[in-house]
Amino acid sequence: MEPMTVLNWAIDGLLALLLLWLAARALASPELMESVVLFVGFGLTLAMVWVRLAAPDIALAEAAIGAGLTGALLLAALARLPRGARETDRDEGARGRLGELLLMLLLAGLWGGLALAILSLPLESSGLAEWVAGALDETGVGSPVTAVLLDLRGYDTLLEMVVLLLVLVGVWSLSKVNARPDRQAGTMLDRLTRLYAPVMLIIAGYLLWAGSSAAGGAFQAGAVLGAAGVVLILSGWRLPTALVGWPLRLLLAMGVLLFLVVGAIPLGLGAAWLDHPAAWSGTLILLIEIAASLSIGATLALLFLGAQPEEDQP
Amino acid sequence: MMADNALIAPILIPLLGALLAFLLRRWARPIGLLTMLMLVIALAGLVPGLLETGSRALAIGGWDAPLGVGLRLDGLSLAMLLMTAAVGLAISLYSAVYFSGQPRLVASFWPLWLLLLTGLNALFLATDIFNLYVTLEILGLAAVALAALAGGAEALVAAMRYLLVSLLGSLAYLLGVALLYHAYGTVDLILLSERIAPAPAAWAALGLMSAGLLLKTALFPLHFWLPAAHASAAAPVSALLSALVVKGSFYLLLRLWLELFGGLAGVASILFGLLGAAAVLWGSLQALIQSRLKLLIAYSTVAQIGYLFLAFPLAIGAATTAWTGALYLAVSHGLAKAAMFLAAGNLLRFGGHDRIADLDRVVQRLPLSIAAFALAGVSIMGLPPSGGFIGKWLLLEAALDQGQWGWAIVILLGGVLAATYVFKVLGYAFTQSEHPHQAKPVPALMEWVAFGLAVAAVLLGLIVAPLLALLGLGDPFGAHPMAARP
Amino acid sequence: MSVAILYALTGAGLFVIGLHALILRAHLLRKILGFNVMGSGVFLVLAALARRTPSGIPDPVPQAMVITGIVVAIAATALALSLMLRVAAVTGRAELGAAGACHEDGDTEQGERP
Repeated sequence: MEPMTVLNWAIDGLLALLLLWLAARALASPELMESVVLFVGFGLTLAMVWVRLAAPDIALAEAAIGAGLTGALLLAALARLPRGARETDRDEGARGRLGELLLMLLLAGLWGGLALAILSLPLESSGLAEWVAGALDETGVGSPVTAVLLDLRGYDTLLEMVVLLLVLVGVWSLSKVNARPDRQAGTMLDRLTRLYAPVMLIIAGYLLWAGSSAAGGAFQAGAVLGAAGVVLILSGWRLPTALVGWPLRLLLAMGVLLFLVVGAIPLGLGAAWLDHPAAWSGTLILLIEIAASLSIGATLALLFLGAQPEEDQP
Repeated sequence: MMADNALIAPILIPLLGALLAFLLRRWARPIGLLTMLMLVIALAGLVPGLLETGSRALAIGGWDAPLGVGLRLDGLSLAMLLMTAAVGLAISLYSAVYFSGQPRLVASFWPLWLLLLTGLNALFLATDIFNLYVTLEILGLAAVALAALAGGAEALVAAMRYLLVSLLGSLAYLLGVALLYHAYGTVDLILLSERIAPAPAAWAALGLMSAGLLLKTALFPLHFWLPAAHASAAAPVSALLSALVVKGSFYLLLRLWLELFGGLAGVASILFGLLGAAAVLWGSLQALIQSRLKLLIAYSTVAQIGYLFLAFPLAIGAATTAWTGALYLAVSHGLAKAAMFLAAGNLLRFGGHDRIADLDRVVQRLPLSIAAFALAGVSIMGLPPSGGFIGKWLLLEAALDQGQWGWAIVILLGGVLAATYVFKVLGYAFTQSEHPHQAKPVPALMEWVAFGLAVAAVLLGLIVAPLLALLGLGDPFGAHPMAARP
Repeated sequence: MSVAILYALTGAGLFVIGLHALILRAHLLRKILGFNVMGSGVFLVLAALARRTPSGIPDPVPQAMVITGIVVAIAATALALSLMLRVAAVTGRAELGAAGACHEDGDTEQGERP
């Protein structure tokens, strides 16, 4: 074997083992805080694996959403847990040795079955890669992943934004009205925020722009915006009360709304729903992406806040 | 040719309604009611075209499969859409009164409920198994958020368990989707049905997707999460969870069976039947020993779901009879179970509790609600002329035609047990309780809605011919002969 | 064996490890982490196998699906965490089965929160 191949195998083998080890440790650790930190490490390792798998779009999404924002959500939840609820007095694992053994056997069997299915797949398969390449011109987008997300399977993406909005309504219905800042941020954090927030805005803009031809796109940009929102929230910043009512809700719903408005254009032309006119396709998709990334960013930041911002009496 | 864009109406109408109800929260209730009305009208508008063509399809974005995502309307999906709209309209009317005076609940309920309808309608129309995953998530997350609205320790813990179960089910399903895509290069149901063949990846996908959907449908012994979640929710939410949400995952499993797995899996069909039989018996017995009305009704759902799965082994030799029987039962259960939960909600509001033993002569005090419960009970038991009777009759016919007496006995025994638990409730409704209690008035609309649904469940047995003709449109049960082969 | 298969098998492993925690761990936060690990496993299977193209340029369709999946997963996680906090606030514990016996008499009307 070539030395390069050996090295590559060594890296991939190590990454795979590291993933499994981090996952197992995160789930088994007796300390919740340690679990969360290990889980974030797991997410970052997974982002590296995506790079190894030539999936830079996923790597960005994983680092920003899977590790970053999910980690922030987990830490915030942990901090809000009442003291008595941070531990369990029930034995964490076993419901009897025999039961656990049986479960282990079942799970091992499950893995074996999955492995068999995976190994039985054809060694090579082009999937839909060539189909997508052939359709790329018509979508007006240069990046195949963005083309799939916003044009070919744009309907999935629309429903996915619906999921985000739905969850926000759910979270708001669960939490009693909230959440003025618990404490004032220190000057250090305050200064950092002033520095970071504009930088993040620029990064988000870049990701959005780059998404049409390279890695990036609405979700990655939205995630960075969401992260900027999290930093702002941490430093004690809140939306002015006047904007908290319908203007905020409009911002949250804008992604889905614009998607629907643009998708309705072809209805008047006798074409199928969401079939963007070819000449305008690239521009329209960029428009949808801008609205989507703003809505996604706002939604993610508000999910971190965890409760509906206070409003003048509804 | 013009694209058949009308197919998106059942998805877009509730979605737009949800967005408006979210934005203009003060008008959430009228927006919600108007949305339901529009949905019913739009569905009625879809029928004539379907009668002409048998089935209708739309390639969203103009991209045909395998690149794009498709929608399809046939008799089977239309029947589910119509049932959902009918039950949904009733639940909406009931909720409009039920939640009044609680602005925070109103502002959450309507967007969540309309988004749930969006997901459910999208699920009934989709032909793309990845898109179906996203619709499953919308359905599951909305259902959990609605279940948690009731607040209170019991409801919150039940909703939490429901959420974890629902997410586990979706992930198992998604892993199956991943294997199918990489084995056959498409996620389009129709293309997959042409390409699928016995192979380890197909078997694994069959196992994973079935397990995930059975968990969401709460087939015995995977029903452990259902009674608490359905019983502890607010009355209209209990009704929509039991009548509609479990039908979504059942419908998807049925579609997968008809188009993909039916020909692969004789053994799995028989296993489903056995679990279904166990569910009928176990669920009914559990219902019988409950002391709280809403838990009794929830266990009755566990039993009635069991009936739907008796169709899987019976379909091996009598596909059309068995499947139409199961669907007849699914639709009538939707109407009857919603009626029961809404009637129970009335009793609960009236007496402030739902202890069966302390119902205290409610038959004189809330006659309409008790009548609703009794009439819905007629359909659940399977007495003529109700929809439940027709469904069970078709299943019995499928069993007897093939000389499979075992299934027939389960069908009849389940009916007897159902009669026992329904009459147990009615008995207490006539007697005086030892603990007389304060009574709160129940708005008339809430009583009439429950009664109307129950009457509809019974009348369903009188329109057998048109309903069977509708179910057969586009030939959903026969187009794929694989499905009928052992 | 190729890199695609190596990572797909790893993904299957993560699915199983996450499932183990989802079933056995009592604390809700660990169950939620278990769900996330399972999800990552599924995504890994989905996108790793997309590298089996003859050209070596991966199939973009599963990659797009994974991005959709990641967004759905964080949404589900947010709802789960929020629900966990409510459960903990009401029952004092962040685990299931905490409210088993406290409501047997069915005395309050559900949905009538003040």
